[in-house]
Amino acid sequence: MLLQIVASGLSSGSIYALVALALVITYKTTGVPNFAQGEMAMFSAFVAYVLIVDYNVGFVVAFGAALVFAFVLGIGFEGVFLRRTKNPTHLNLIIMTLGFQLALFGLAGWRWGADQRRFPFPVSANEVVHFGNVTVSTLSLATISIALVLMAAVFAFFRFTKLGVAMQATQQDAMAARINGVPARAVVALTFGISSVIGAVAALLTAPLITLDPTLMWDPLLKGFAAAVLGGMNTPIGAVLGGYLLGIVENLFGAYVSVEFKSAVAFLIIVIVLWFRPVGLFGRKPPRKV
Amino acid sequence: MSFFSVQGLTKRFGGLTALDDVSFEVEKGSIFSVIGPNGSGKSTAFNCINGIYKPTAGSIHFQGNKISGLSPSRIARMGLARTFQNIELFASETTVDNLMLGRHQHMSTGLWRGMAMLGRRTWAAREEIENREHVEQVLETLELKAVRNRPVSELPYGTQKRVELGRALAMEPLLLLVDEPTAGMNPEERADIGERLRKLRDDLGLTILLIEHHMQLAIGLADRVLALNFGRPIALGPPDEVQSHPEVVKAYLGDG
Amino acid sequence: MTPRELDHYADVQLLPGKAAIAKLVVLLAVLAVLPFVVPGYRIFTLNYMAVFVIVGLGLSILVGDTGQVSLGHAGFMAIGAYTSVLAMTELGAPFLIALPAAGLVSAFFGFLLGLPALRLDGPYLAIATLGFGLAVTLIIGHGSFFGGHMGLVVPDAYLGPIPLSGDISHYFLIVGIAIVLALAARNLSVTRVGRAFRAIRDSPIAAETMGVDVAYYKTLSFTVSAAFAGIAGSLLALMNGFISPGVFSVTLSLMFLAMVVFGGLGSIAGAVLGSLVMGYVNLRMDAVQEIPIFGPMLQNFSDAYMSPSGLPNVGWVLTGSMIMLTIMFEPRGLYGVWLRIEDGVRWLRRRGASDGPAAGTG
Repeated sequence: MLLQIVASGLSSGSIYALVALALVITYKTTGVPNFAQGEMAMFSAFVAYVLIVDYNVGFVVAFGAALVFAFVLGIGFEGVFLRRTKNPTHLNLIIMTLGFQLALFGLAGWRWGADQRRFPFPVSANEVVHFGNVTVSTLSLATISIALVLMAAVFAFFRFTKLGVAMQATQQDAMAARINGVPARAVVALTFGISSVIGAVAALLTAPLITLDPTLMWDPLLKGFAAAVLGGMNTPIGAVLGGYLLGIVENLFGAYVSVEFKSAVAFLIIVIVLWFRPVGLFGRKPPRKV
Repeated sequence: MSFFSVQGLTKRFGGLTALDDVSFEVEKGSIFSVIGPNGSGKSTAFNCINGIYKPTAGSIHFQGNKISGLSPSRIARMGLARTFQNIELFASETTVDNLMLGRHQHMSTGLWRGMAMLGRRTWAAREEIENREHVEQVLETLELKAVRNRPVSELPYGTQKRVELGRALAMEPLLLLVDEPTAGMNPEERADIGERLRKLRDDLGLTILLIEHHMQLAIGLADRVLALNFGRPIALGPPDEVQSHPEVVKAYLGDG
Repeated sequence: MTPRELDHYADVQLLPGKAAIAKLVVLLAVLAVLPFVVPGYRIFTLNYMAVFVIVGLGLSILVGDTGQVSLGHAGFMAIGAYTSVLAMTELGAPFLIALPAAGLVSAFFGFLLGLPALRLDGPYLAIATLGFGLAVTLIIGHGSFFGGHMGLVVPDAYLGPIPLSGDISHYFLIVGIAIVLALAARNLSVTRVGRAFRAIRDSPIAAETMGVDVAYYKTLSFTVSAAFAGIAGSLLALMNGFISPGVFSVTLSLMFLAMVVFGGLGSIAGAVLGSLVMGYVNLRMDAVQEIPIFGPMLQNFSDAYMSPSGLPNVGWVLTGSMIMLTIMFEPRGLYGVWLRIEDGVRWLRRRGASDGPAAGTG
């Protein structure tokens, strides 16, 4: 029983971890939580949906196109909107992301309506695989493995490629990076592109689990934020661990305490963590600058 | 007990020691200068004194009360005001509103009385008028009347520095901490600021703790001087003694 | 001749001259006559806009003055609405008690949410308030005490012996309260507390150094702002006759933030303007096609390229675009546009004045 719960927790936790990672890498670079993250991902999922259902495109091509779309959307959002903010205080930038979120949400609703659409996917939520007493759907299995591979790739990119290392340097200290000849603007745009792709993958994995409609990513976004806060908004690895932890805790809560208030766990965690350890479980407090 | 004293003040950030065992005393009505090359720990000392940083070790006493460990707002209410090296004004507010912030602790209008300001006889209005008169005098003294109603972000750098000084004076402090008041100024402006500080001491009996990068100004104004290098005190005493101290000469040559 | 004494009260005076008094009298007269000249079914719209104004005033104190973001104000509004309805149905309290109770209970929750805000930077706070708003609707939606998803019917309310039924009586109550609260918010912002709020927004470190207790004022700002939203919630319940969790969704919170941004952060006039516009937009979202000329065009476009059933979503697209454009081009919002127009008029007048005599002598 317990193992079963942990297994389901890992599956939903994978989604939270992806969203949290997407949020954290842009947060580290700009200091702004991107509230449009979920809607950008939702839009990308719709791109895949349209290609598959309306144009009979194969899964691989459709998903690939959706990710390319997500990448362009991320870079475009940063370059066309965020960068043009007249007075780029945190407050104004947060409001920009909220404005983009509302606009995308409205556009998706306008184009596709509020119908709940079944999202075609190569593996199903109904087929199951048995590991001893534990039953896992093939979709969950795919979700867990895809998330793991993607996150490993992202971490490897930041650690082992020249560009990734340069991007990390920019995140830590824009001034130092500029001295080292890294064009900070390109790095910020690229970060938004990568973050948007990670978010889109989360959306592509969420849509087959439930149904596709413009509110697809509302719940995962809040959970992603909760996971990021839990792990630490400044630590990508912390945020990922926070995602898995949240997934497991939430499922335990649903099984043993109350199913109705399962979604409130995320909020409860946000409050408790912010109250006792605002930098998150794995974060470190930055020194105060005067 | 002296008016203001610092004993064994030490501040570490992680492994980095920014201030190492600094002690000094300041007499009431005097000007005390802290000098030293860039990065010698001067601003860190100020941040410890007004409570922005918690000292790692050591204690700070003001008029017989221990102030180290208190919050900046508590320390401010005890009569300690400061300016910042990199100007920290309320950028979108006007000059007069910036100075009115300096009156904060001398006023008492709260939520209810503020909301109920329905005529010049109400409490909030009377208090506004009284304190605005005080602010007007400070504006007069610092020749800021012309920019009274301008948002401070529109003012030139030198004027902003003066507004910041005005805001600190509006607090009617007993001890004024001035952090690099002449940074980025030409020699005439520097001399002007020096004259103003001297007048404040002479006319108002203010005690001034001054951080100054320019040795000439610091030495010329001060009654006593402390020289820091790499967070360590290297000389403490009357200006001419500190100026000719071999370690001070060496530190400044190395810096220049 | 002695120089004229500077009148320091003029700096903070609400009505510094006869012209200002005249403007206010005209405004009040218009507001008094308005419900009798507009079609009856529009009074409900006006009431709805006035409720938005009350939320906008409170949110403007928090976001515009103190610089704290809230994505959970619909939650405070819900708490106010449910408090006043339950006070009337469960405790039999008269509306005159239920209304301030709504403000107080909301204020208390604002205080609670403000506490973690002390240690949090903007980004974290935004996330915490978002979670708060969601949690409120979740709890209300699942508690049978709160009527669950079905919601609650609002009982008949009386102001002493006067029955508060019908849109016109609601109008005078809601608009009256909105005017009083606008005055209070305006006075607050020009006096000591308002200055402390803005000081915290511009430089928390300098504010602390001036003796401002940042923790106290941040919490106070949250508390006051929540109280305004709570009162608005109680009034919304009264005019609606019915409340349910769906009314107080996260999108409503986003709408609230959008309206103070669009109106102009940090000015009372901006908050009022933005709230009026967005209140209208929010209520009439389903009626996009009724806009003259533009409406049918949208309808055609929608039929051809988008989904016809999705047309109401145009409201969201507009709202989102409006706040993005505001931040990009005129961060002072509608109020900033108004200031520019005033400057333009003044410039034209001055030119007219200097041209006039020259032309006369020539």
